[in-house]
Amino acid sequence: MIRESYRQKSENELVKASLDGDKQAFSEIVSRYQNMVARTVKGMLGDSVFSEDIGQDVFIKLYYSLSDFRGEAKLSTYIQKIAINLTLNEIKRRKRFFSTFSQKGNNEMYEFEVADNETEGKKEAAELVSKALMSLNPKFRVIVAMRMLQGYSTKETAEMLDLPLGTVLSRLSRAQEQMKNILRKL
Amino acid sequence: MKIPELKDLIIRSLDKESDPEKTSARIEEAGVIWKFSEGFQDKVLETIFSAGDSVVRKIEFVRNLNSVFYRIAITGVAAIVLLMISIFVIQGSLSFDSFLGLGDSYDESIVYLLTGN
Repeated sequence: MIRESYRQKSENELVKASLDGDKQAFSEIVSRYQNMVARTVKGMLGDSVFSEDIGQDVFIKLYYSLSDFRGEAKLSTYIQKIAINLTLNEIKRRKRFFSTFSQKGNNEMYEFEVADNETEGKKEAAELVSKALMSLNPKFRVIVAMRMLQGYSTKETAEMLDLPLGTVLSRLSRAQEQMKNILRKL
Repeated sequence: MKIPELKDLIIRSLDKESDPEKTSARIEEAGVIWKFSEGFQDKVLETIFSAGDSVVRKIEFVRNLNSVFYRIAITGVAAIVLLMISIFVIQGSLSFDSFLGLGDSYDESIVYLLTGN
């Protein structure tokens, strides 16, 4: 019953209540946006336990920066920006780690943990998309993930990444070329 | 959805003219659904609300450190600018030597300064 009442609340009401220390309100925010964050983080980092940790960090960072949210943009955009930044940081960190300690490519860290009850075809599809995304240059991967997994338009992607529209369009077209080559090999 | 069909859909989803909402929905239908594991929400809430004070303290510390860093950096820059202005006023020019305090020194006096001979 209580949970139902939180479901009816608007983003701004939930933010305000969370700032006042209302645990249920923040729980509702996590519930509303966790799948969106999962698509971004897992799409860019692969479906592994590391992605879960980054996902948690996204909401922890959100909680402690809620006071900076002025409500000018949508809460989903604000969360998405946090998710993108933390994921890109993690990609950079992995790149540094692997270039320092190992000759192996960091793709070896990715595991595919698709739920058991999914059909073989669906599992194969998820694996294909994940492998293709992991093979993309991170600069392109973020744009592809926003468009292909989140359904954002080019304009929305540009706003989200703080990039000029022209840059997003040119990266999108280069990503498509790279994707064609990757998919040919998979 | 068959794999060749999915590959085609992925490539088409990156067309400028494609409808990203429709294609992302179709890709999801094909089985590309990523979710966090069961209990994700509880873990997040537990981390935030049980760690409570220690996390808040950590964040406060980092914030304070940032502001201290900015203050030190601004003070440093201001000191350098003042030093450059005073050198310019006293010596009438700005050179690397005068910046290092060697403006009016001869080689001999520097050797004397460094060695005492």
